[in-house]
Amino acid sequence: MSAVIPYHRVNVLTGLKSARLIEDAQEYADLIQKARRPLLILGPLLLKWSLDGKLLIEYALEIAKAANIPTCATAQVRAKMAELGVKPDSFYDVVEIINALKDPNWRGVKKEGNHDLVLFFGIRSDLGEQGLSVLKHFAPHLKTMTLCKYYFPHANYSLPNFRKDEQWKAFLESLIDNLKKGA
Amino acid sequence: MAEVKGITRKLKEIHEKIKAEIPWEPVGPTPMPEIPDLRNWDMRLLKTYAPFYAPFCDLCCFCTYGKCDLTETRRGACGIDIGTQQARWVLLACLMGCSAHSAHAGHILEFLIERHGPDKKIDLGGSINIEAPHIRTVVGLKPETLGDLVIAIEYVYKEITHLLDSTNMGQEGSCLDYESKALHAGMLDHVGMEVADIAQIVGFNYPTSVADTPLIDLGWAAVDKSKPVILFVGHNPATSTVVIDYLRENNLYDQVEVCGVCCTALETSRYSDRAKVVGPFSRQLFFIRSGIADVIMTDEQCIRTDMPIEASKAGSALIATLDKVMYGLEDASEMDTEGIVKQMVEDKKHFAILDPRKAAEVAAKVAMEIAPQRRKEWLTEEEAKELAKNCNVCGMCEQVCPNLFNIGAGIAEVAKGNFDLIREQFNLCVGCGKCEAECPRKIPIFKIMQVAASMESWKVRAGRGPIMDTEIRTVGAPITLGTIPGVVAIVGCSNFPDIRDIAEMVDEFAKRKYIVVVSGCSSMVAGMWKDADGKTVYEKYPPDFEGGGVVNVGSCVANSHITGAAIKIANIFAALPLRGNYEVMADYVLNRVGAVGVAWGAYSQKAASIATGCNRLGIPVILGPHSSKYRRLYLSRKEEDDWRVMDARKKEIVDTGEPSPEHLAYVCETKEKAMVMIPKLCIRKNDTPQGRAIKLNHYISLHKKYMGGGLPEDIQLFVRRDPDIPLVYKKEVRAYLQEIGWQPKEPVGLPTFIGTYPSKVPVDAVIH
Repeated sequence: MSAVIPYHRVNVLTGLKSARLIEDAQEYADLIQKARRPLLILGPLLLKWSLDGKLLIEYALEIAKAANIPTCATAQVRAKMAELGVKPDSFYDVVEIINALKDPNWRGVKKEGNHDLVLFFGIRSDLGEQGLSVLKHFAPHLKTMTLCKYYFPHANYSLPNFRKDEQWKAFLESLIDNLKKGA
Repeated sequence: MAEVKGITRKLKEIHEKIKAEIPWEPVGPTPMPEIPDLRNWDMRLLKTYAPFYAPFCDLCCFCTYGKCDLTETRRGACGIDIGTQQARWVLLACLMGCSAHSAHAGHILEFLIERHGPDKKIDLGGSINIEAPHIRTVVGLKPETLGDLVIAIEYVYKEITHLLDSTNMGQEGSCLDYESKALHAGMLDHVGMEVADIAQIVGFNYPTSVADTPLIDLGWAAVDKSKPVILFVGHNPATSTVVIDYLRENNLYDQVEVCGVCCTALETSRYSDRAKVVGPFSRQLFFIRSGIADVIMTDEQCIRTDMPIEASKAGSALIATLDKVMYGLEDASEMDTEGIVKQMVEDKKHFAILDPRKAAEVAAKVAMEIAPQRRKEWLTEEEAKELAKNCNVCGMCEQVCPNLFNIGAGIAEVAKGNFDLIREQFNLCVGCGKCEAECPRKIPIFKIMQVAASMESWKVRAGRGPIMDTEIRTVGAPITLGTIPGVVAIVGCSNFPDIRDIAEMVDEFAKRKYIVVVSGCSSMVAGMWKDADGKTVYEKYPPDFEGGGVVNVGSCVANSHITGAAIKIANIFAALPLRGNYEVMADYVLNRVGAVGVAWGAYSQKAASIATGCNRLGIPVILGPHSSKYRRLYLSRKEEDDWRVMDARKKEIVDTGEPSPEHLAYVCETKEKAMVMIPKLCIRKNDTPQGRAIKLNHYISLHKKYMGGGLPEDIQLFVRRDPDIPLVYKKEVRAYLQEIGWQPKEPVGLPTFIGTYPSKVPVDAVIH
């Protein structure tokens, strides 16, 4: 339970079961590192948003690399990744990957079994929150986590509404450092 | 025995209603289908395209046992689970939508029967013989008069009641059965819409059997504000047409400007090409707040519920003309006209007037009296800048924006004298007004945004109604063979992630020789863009239903003509009987007609219903990102799902492994992704090698254009044999197929679902 009000109040409605709000990058890193088969879903806002001139996709790829997390490129993210010389582990649009994740018997993007922790990053908040709701209600076999700068009640673990981008930047940088240390 | 007698009696009643004795075609297995009659077809669809539920919240709060927590494995006090509860919501949404169109149909039919009598012949012109493909297919009736349409709409009303009954607490316990009912509601919606538009075409003498309908002035800059202005808002043209009649009869039409927002605008411009189209629903509040309308006349459906408040703030007079939307206003239908005018002019009072003739007279008189006294000027840039300076960038506006953009940043730039950002943001604005309502400093955001907004005017082609039978004869073969790569129907409301996406989509696919069909708010927005030569898509592309044509069928209810065209391909081109033969029609469309709907800005329950009706008929629909809020999609999993079909010629079940069409109801997050999904969802198992190569050429080239190089990751699923590979990509695709160990497979001669699930329809029924 959480009393936090979601940032996009029109689109994102709370229910009885809300995400655990976590502000500590170390705690996030620990959760990621404890997961046996995490998956990082990359949304198109990563190509649009930047922090101090650095595109969010670059942060995302650093996170993936630091913790050796397989990636799923949605929408047109693949194109930018190709420019950056990185190949995603899979390509699905967001509703398709969620549909696959719902199935406990799905073999996952590495064909090693379904994922146990799914990180959402860069998906518009209305669609992202609805997607998280699908997994919350129909995929009890996995946990979800968000890396965007808003609170997402339907996730299992969410960041708070960061009032300033600097706070978000500091969190992401700390997360990357912690993941590198943990690795 | 009693049951048999009952069934016989029921069938006899149906046969009487549909005049079965008139042998224009034999009556098929499901005339006037009830809830269970097409259930097996639905279950077959849902086996491949399973419902995908995205609950808005964790609760059910429908009855006094609740609120019930439905998280994890919990069930409500009635026993319902979270999936079934979502399906119940979807059914309710579809019923709201279906009811809106069907009640519109019922009202307009009553209005026109009053005017012309029930024996008024249905004549849609020399090029349209199959006048009502939905009514013929679903109801089993060939309507010859307005009176015959009553039979169809009464059937729809009856079914709606049964469906709505099932949503009452403590009944249906299966999400799949709720989905079957939603599909039923969607199908009924297309019947209701068809009744409405046929009645309107016949009763108002709209253009029909013609493609080259007039080009209508579009945009608020097209409205001559120096004249008294009457604005129509909504969907039902009963009153707007009477207003035009009144102005014409009294030689006032040159003196008064008539315009509309949303579908009534489209309807009115079919009646008089001098009526102006202001724009889609998302421009409604902008235009109301501009105060340019002297009189606002509302009818039904897409109208703001706070219209009396907004009208008063703008100093406009308001007349509610239909019983569905009366706003608590005094009903002046029986009052003296002069008395109403006096109160509206002197006391600024709004009224409901349900008598169209009286409403027309009052509107004209009030508009002419109050117009000279009213200021109708946009803010100047300097005024906007001063107002914007009051913004302290608190961010409240961004938090309530459904389209998730930071209008506060735009306002802050205006305060500095820079209008570039807010001009850009205007394209993202869905016009809800939440930002302004939330602003603690009461900054008039809409008026400021309007300063930066385009003062350009454009053209939209007037809605032409049904696709002509002659056109179907010409394009039937190339569509089913695949050499016309697809029919792309860009339809529906204006909750767009970016309003510019629509014209871009229309242009992209018309240029590629798809048949592009538009309707409703999307048809207006398609016109709100000009190419380098200053041409809109309506001036750039022919208005014909042919490859490379851009066809505006008309308003929301004209959507029935798009799905009707798919049925006509089965009936006219493939010569399959349609009467009471829904399964055969839907199976043909699903497996052989490469059509896809794009409801990029769907916001209403009507859009949910229309899309669900498309799905039952086998037409996939792509939705914009907001549509995840509809709570349900129909998705396949291409690698795992069952892609077996019957080859009707060989009478063999074939495992094609080909996911075509891949999904039935699908949300894309971005325009770029939609641009790639559109050609993919036009692929059908029936494509000839030549047709498939053309379709794959577009799929690959659009993938390369929007997804950044490389081949689509699933291209191997759609290549059956080497001739399917487009020439221009032959080398690249062959190399990829070799790398992954692809094996060729035989195309299916006559693909059908019939024979793969329990059905009364024999396989031979699909052979033409």
